[in-house]
Amino acid sequence: MRCPHCDTQVQDTDRYCEACGYDLVAGGEPVEAAPDERPGRWLSSARAAQACEGCGGTEFGEEGYCDGCGRRRGTGREHSELDLEVIAAASDIGHRHRHNEDAVGIGLLPGIAVGVVCDGVSSSDRPDTASYAAVDAAVPALLDALTDEPSDAQRALGLAAGAAQAAAALAAGTAPGPNPPSSTFVAAVVTLDSVTVGWVGDSRAYWLPDPLPPDAPTAAARKPGAGTVGLAPECLTTDDNVAGRLAAAAGTKATAEHPDGPSGALVRWLGADAGDTAPHLLTVRPTGPGRVLVCSDGLFRYRPDPADLAAATPAGTPLEVARALVELALAAGGEDNISVAVLPFPCPDLRSPQS
Amino acid sequence: MTQPAAFTAEVFQNQYLPAGGQIVDAVVTVTASGSGLRASGDAPSAAEVIMVDCSGSMADPSTKMSEAKKACAVAIDTLRDGVAFAVIAGRHDARMVYPPAIDLAAANPLTRQAAKDAVTRLTASGGTAIGTWLSMANELFGRSPAEVKHAIMLTDGRNQHETAEQLAATLAACEGRFICDSRGVGADWVANELRQVASTLLGSADGLPDPAALPEEFQSMTRNAMGKAVADAALRVWTPAGSVVRFVKQVFPQVEDLTGRRVEVSARIGEYPTGAWGAESRDYHLSVQVPAGGVGEELLAARVSLVAGGAPMAQSLVLATWTDDTALSTKINQRVAHYTGQAELASVIQEGLAARDAGDVPTATAKLGRAVQLAEESGHSDTAKLLGKVVDVIDAPTGTVRLKPKVAGVDAELANVRSVKTIRVKKSEEAS
Repeated sequence: MRCPHCDTQVQDTDRYCEACGYDLVAGGEPVEAAPDERPGRWLSSARAAQACEGCGGTEFGEEGYCDGCGRRRGTGREHSELDLEVIAAASDIGHRHRHNEDAVGIGLLPGIAVGVVCDGVSSSDRPDTASYAAVDAAVPALLDALTDEPSDAQRALGLAAGAAQAAAALAAGTAPGPNPPSSTFVAAVVTLDSVTVGWVGDSRAYWLPDPLPPDAPTAAARKPGAGTVGLAPECLTTDDNVAGRLAAAAGTKATAEHPDGPSGALVRWLGADAGDTAPHLLTVRPTGPGRVLVCSDGLFRYRPDPADLAAATPAGTPLEVARALVELALAAGGEDNISVAVLPFPCPDLRSPQS
Repeated sequence: MTQPAAFTAEVFQNQYLPAGGQIVDAVVTVTASGSGLRASGDAPSAAEVIMVDCSGSMADPSTKMSEAKKACAVAIDTLRDGVAFAVIAGRHDARMVYPPAIDLAAANPLTRQAAKDAVTRLTASGGTAIGTWLSMANELFGRSPAEVKHAIMLTDGRNQHETAEQLAATLAACEGRFICDSRGVGADWVANELRQVASTLLGSADGLPDPAALPEEFQSMTRNAMGKAVADAALRVWTPAGSVVRFVKQVFPQVEDLTGRRVEVSARIGEYPTGAWGAESRDYHLSVQVPAGGVGEELLAARVSLVAGGAPMAQSLVLATWTDDTALSTKINQRVAHYTGQAELASVIQEGLAARDAGDVPTATAKLGRAVQLAEESGHSDTAKLLGKVVDVIDAPTGTVRLKPKVAGVDAELANVRSVKTIRVKKSEEAS
């Protein structure tokens, strides 16, 4: 059968249309026309635990099986995989922590992909409440803002960081203790011609250019200029910690190592006790195709250097890549929670007939 | 305080399916126990109707009638005080024996005595139309608010004064209204009719060639009815989207296919009637076809619970996990295998006897041979003994038999009426 809304081929047993999310069971008005429906599609690891991976159902028996299709409820917070096919993300509790305090979200609009990672600050109370709330607020806020003004990614990131801060602060409840729930924030907006990142704290976004095809005339064909990233892998963010600040002051961009000592102490975060929460913003225009990784330190602590990370990142579908990177961190020790979103550049334009 | 009836439900299955596997089989053992099950103060209100065959043939031999009277008296004495009861004389029509009016009487020393006096005056004359008896019982039960409604139906012959269609229509009208145990006495009752009554009305069926066994049998049936602690329970089965319930059978203490008696509760949930429960244990075989899952995936294939008064009393889960480890997926759960065999045993006995009656010797020999083989394999010695009266067993393990040239009619009927009775796997024989 075909989706009555977007005419995509769907399975008889599907609950929702894979392409547009149309509710094939309940039917009714197309998604866009529904008043509360947000534009675009998005997934978050905070939500993964609430929806059945088999049918999208949200009712579970107390033993943890879906009331609709009987599948066991996703392990959710311990390990999640988010897949929107053209972009994907994965998150894992790692080997040492008792909770996964990382949250990751991804979202899609026509020609725009977004990825958000929030890493709960371990020294705060219930840090996962801050990181999960922040991701769940930031992704829809990004999609809303980009629907209104698709060309202004920095504005969208500013609004999304504001929404994430509000949500993280609310996670403290009515009586915040001395260490209210806190989280880092990093988000990327990938369009057809640009990559924009915004961040608060020490989670990172990396630019990993695709290797040149062997028949490319010369490397010079893709000459980088001002405000561009080119052939070399780069870390797009600067850690909001003491070491990062010092490096930034010295004018050295890549603070590859993520220090565990005092110089790794966060100087900015989201939460009820956070002061300055405006995100750092950076827009670059890549000269060729590549991938943006948005990740927590649980991943990049093992491959902090952009070139090393690029070398360790395999080819494959975004979900395969996200999985492989989580595996890499787990194999390397999995000291911390691991989260990564994989966003190819340029954003695959689902409207164009070629894609 | 008395303990309420406690139910447990235990699942026996191999949850591992090979890649692409879709059939999930499980045996669910439901057990009711607890002191509350027997405490009279806790017992649900009850009504009891005894239908006793008073057709002319009950006088031949006369012990049938005299033992039936004794049996009725014993049953009446077994009733708790306050239980609403009646005795019906069954012939080509149904007549009240006690109370005289078309109604139920509350059991007390006076009514018990009056009822026993009325029973002693019963005489054998007339024909047999079981449906009319059941209709009257149904009418009587309709006047009672009792929770447990139980009937005993005793006959000694064929249901010859009404058509099979009439009996079926009456049974359909009675279904779900009361429970009925059916018994045949002497040599001329028809197993299929007894089983039809018991099956539709969720009771048991049996034949008693020797009338002297009647009093004890009546006492046991009445005591059983008095011991019911939960009036009306159903097996509730939830199955996931895209699945099909292949069958739901009670497989112990007797085979009863409940598949067609499903009452839809919702798209995913159906209920199958199980009648009243005392302190007892029953086994159910559930078979579900589920959409094939990927290796490593785990699915809840069914959630099985016993529901009484709308409340689940016990619940258990039937799972499916797909694996590429054939050592896991090829294992057959012993209880599932055992009851698959017991259900087959019941049907090959019935089919074999039907073929024998129809003069189809090859089919009868093959079916009954298979029955002998299954009875031997499962250690069902009672059934093996009954089959031994119908066939000469040449080699039990291979099911090689020869039809006996001369078989007493009652032996074939006994083999038929008891074909549905099953045995459990001996714990000692069960692999972990």
